[in-house]
Amino acid sequence: MDKRLIAGVLVFGSLWGFSEVIIGTGLQNANLPYGAIMTGFFALSFLVLSRMIFRQPGMQLGMGLVAGGLRVFNPLVGCHLCSAIAIMAEAAIFEVIWYKMSPDFSDLKTITMQTSMGVAAAYLVYVGGYITTQILTPIVGGVGFYLENLIIFMPRILASGLLPAILGAAVLPTILQVRKLDFTIKDRFYYPTALGLTILCWASVIGFSVIGS
Amino acid sequence: MGKQKIIPVLAMTLLIIGIISALYVSATQINKDTITIIGQEYTVNDLYILGGEKTIETAYGEITGASLENIIKSIGVSCTLCNKYTIKGADGYPKTIEWDILKTGVLTKENRVCFPDTPKALWVRDVVEIEVN
Repeated sequence: MDKRLIAGVLVFGSLWGFSEVIIGTGLQNANLPYGAIMTGFFALSFLVLSRMIFRQPGMQLGMGLVAGGLRVFNPLVGCHLCSAIAIMAEAAIFEVIWYKMSPDFSDLKTITMQTSMGVAAAYLVYVGGYITTQILTPIVGGVGFYLENLIIFMPRILASGLLPAILGAAVLPTILQVRKLDFTIKDRFYYPTALGLTILCWASVIGFSVIGS
Repeated sequence: MGKQKIIPVLAMTLLIIGIISALYVSATQINKDTITIIGQEYTVNDLYILGGEKTIETAYGEITGASLENIIKSIGVSCTLCNKYTIKGADGYPKTIEWDILKTGVLTKENRVCFPDTPKALWVRDVVEIEVN
């Protein structure tokens, strides 16, 4: 596998996990709808940005594993099982949604397509992740999954996708503007930068967990 | 139909589903100060008297509340092990659990059910009913 791609997975996955743990916790403490904001803004930004730069299907799934790993570790305090499962599920769902899209994003030329794709991707990723956690968390947590509970709760889950969808409508066209900026990093800077950012993210999360425990 | 049509239609459909669901959730939201257990209404204070205070150790620190084990036994459920228990929140969030787990939990003054050994996602806030199945 391409070393540059692996470094990309580590950096973007770590940035995603870092934002989930550090910023997500801050949003949660501020009583804001952190799950919707994390998916509609941060997750969608990292997923689309990485897809745009590397044009490599499958990469986002790897990012989800890295970010979910960072979240489940949050190392040292608690087990944020739900969030970790949701992150990994979101990455997998993003891959499915984006599977048929052209690698150069030529499908998303008009603002209508960009906002529509932002709405659809954010809504489906968030709701899909939510449903997955509702199924897997009770199973992994050892209390058993009951389908009738999920069915009763479905309207709430479907309603909760509205905010990420609205955020997605604004985020995707904004991220696509980055395409117009032409910046490249030479290999001799790329790997140290990637490694540095990854270490910084993991060290911050570990430090945050140690302070919080 | 190409992507140029499918994606906007899909986006519109998802937004409509979200809006209708939000309206439904808002219309069916339960607002009450009591908790229904086997057809009887109890306040949190009533349940504290029935259950007695108990402190549990969770991944998020110690939590004190009324013992769910004592509450269920006090209200006269004869065979606690034979039943499953569905705890419902005001937002419609239901969680069905076995006695082995229920008996470890507490109901807090803030009307939240917490358990020591389960993920936080399985805790239910703003409890309105404990159904004995």
